[in-house]
Amino acid sequence: MIRNGAFAKLFSLVFAVFMLAPLVVVMGVAFTPEGFLEFPPSGISLRWFEAILDNPDFIDAAIVSLQLGVASATIATVICVPAALAIGGGRFAGRDALQALFLSPLTVPTVVLGIAFLRFLSMMGLNGTFGGLVFCHVVIIVPFVLRLVLASVTGLDPSIARAATSLGAGGWTVFWRITLPAIVPGVVGGWVLAFITSFDELTVTVFIVNPATTTLPVKLFSHITQTTDPLVASVSTVAILFTVALMLIVDRLYGLDRLLIGEGTR
Amino acid sequence: MAILELRDLTKRFGETIAVDRFTLSVEKGEFVSLLGPSGCGKTTTLQMVAGFETPTSGSIALNGRDLSKVPARARGLGIVFQTYALFPHMTVEENVGFGLEMRKVPADERKRRIAETLDLVHLSHLSARYPRQMSGGQRQRVALARALVIEPELLLLDEPLSNLDAKLREEMQLELRRIQQEAGVTTLLVTHDQSEAMALSDRIAVMQGGRLIQEATPFEAYDRPTNGFVSSFLGKSNAIDAHLEAGGPGAAQLRCGDIRLDGPVSSQGPGAVLVSLRPERIEFCGEGEGIVSGTVVERVFLGDQWLFKVKTGLGELLVVRRNSGRREPDLGEAVHLSWQAEHLRILEAGSAA
Repeated sequence: MIRNGAFAKLFSLVFAVFMLAPLVVVMGVAFTPEGFLEFPPSGISLRWFEAILDNPDFIDAAIVSLQLGVASATIATVICVPAALAIGGGRFAGRDALQALFLSPLTVPTVVLGIAFLRFLSMMGLNGTFGGLVFCHVVIIVPFVLRLVLASVTGLDPSIARAATSLGAGGWTVFWRITLPAIVPGVVGGWVLAFITSFDELTVTVFIVNPATTTLPVKLFSHITQTTDPLVASVSTVAILFTVALMLIVDRLYGLDRLLIGEGTR
Repeated sequence: MAILELRDLTKRFGETIAVDRFTLSVEKGEFVSLLGPSGCGKTTTLQMVAGFETPTSGSIALNGRDLSKVPARARGLGIVFQTYALFPHMTVEENVGFGLEMRKVPADERKRRIAETLDLVHLSHLSARYPRQMSGGQRQRVALARALVIEPELLLLDEPLSNLDAKLREEMQLELRRIQQEAGVTTLLVTHDQSEAMALSDRIAVMQGGRLIQEATPFEAYDRPTNGFVSSFLGKSNAIDAHLEAGGPGAAQLRCGDIRLDGPVSSQGPGAVLVSLRPERIEFCGEGEGIVSGTVVERVFLGDQWLFKVKTGLGELLVVRRNSGRREPDLGEAVHLSWQAEHLRILEAGSAA
């Protein structure tokens, strides 16, 4: 077994502090009884959490973000599973080009993407619509889903599908009964990563929303440009807790899934 | 009656010919091996029989039925893959039952047949396990059970033992033969391992460069190879370049440099030939009784036998001696070798691998 040396331990500790400190500060600020941002808080109060309920704008924005995340992650997954199976399944003309196309949104600066989407949606007459938002988010998150699903597909033994075929299964049966279950960890992981990326997206989204389709990050952003009350901190805290809960659920699911495919102990 | 008939089967990949006019028939209940080095076309042949590759020309008939228009899923063959290809998210029972499910076999019959087949491969106690919780040998048995449960007309085995360690492989060879005979299933095995092919098969088809080189029982292929490639690929062999002086009927007279050798009766005409001699047919003998003399240049102890390399006027000869507890020649010792003329095999010159 490799044991970590003192330096490695210290490095890990510093890294963890660095990652967690902003979250701890935000969550601390959220509990302040005062009307301004202070840390550490002078007392413990739920005042700013109650304030969220008095601001239906934030709740509406959160609902838009949730719907947007679910819709775009689902659409991206539906696109990426067949794409990954084709790209990971074997050589064909245009395979590398296809893969590059799917991954290309990662290489374009998001500000540039935002302006491009703004222009595109205006031309299509979709500016500020929920459908337009979903379209843009799908483009942004497709690379993340593709990479995770592709990793699962590449690890798949091609003989498995052949074995099922030789036992009498047709193409659809092989997909639903054999291939898809075998790549489920990648598909679920890709969906969750896509959802979180969409839920969190600000740079592109800020260009293409209108008041009716404002997402939570955009709402938070515009709120802090006007005022600096601890409301943003309490909203952020709720978002952080929501994300943590989501990760815990996925961990449960993924653990369950590992069991389903026979890993680990019974 | 032949169950499987391959006729002039050919497969080209662009310019390369993977399989070249390959003809073979397999009788009902027979165990036939396609044996050859990697790239000899044996796997491509198997893929064509399975329906995963389309032949460029030639025909495949199963039970008299032409398979060229039959898709892989409808051929009803049992296939054991080199990687076993078990479904990772299904239990042993579900894996084995998959083929029956696809055939819409009623649940109670399915249960009975799964149980019977798992019993045949001695895995009844592990039916609820997942593949990842099993050893290589056990997964191998699951793969075999999954292929056998559908009662295929033909069982295809693609290097089924190559992922097992040596000891387990030997065990599984015996086991595989027992299961095949108990199930009475016609079997086509693809392997590069000559000892596996010899241990398991009724017949061996040796392939080289996409072509069938020799088709014979294991004993015949080993004892009477028709060319130098078969002779050197099956077991160990000494290949000696020689000149056949008197051809035609009667015992052959061979000349190798300035050494004269008596050969067996041969129908070959005079000219350059390749003489093959199995190392276990060579004996150490006293001075004056030997055919050639030489010096031991290598000596390897293999437990049940000794392997010597002896430098002689015929070149370096391998000699295998059973370990009988006697003293064997030391390294550097001068020895005399003899053999029976009938143990020499006179083959076409230049046919060695």
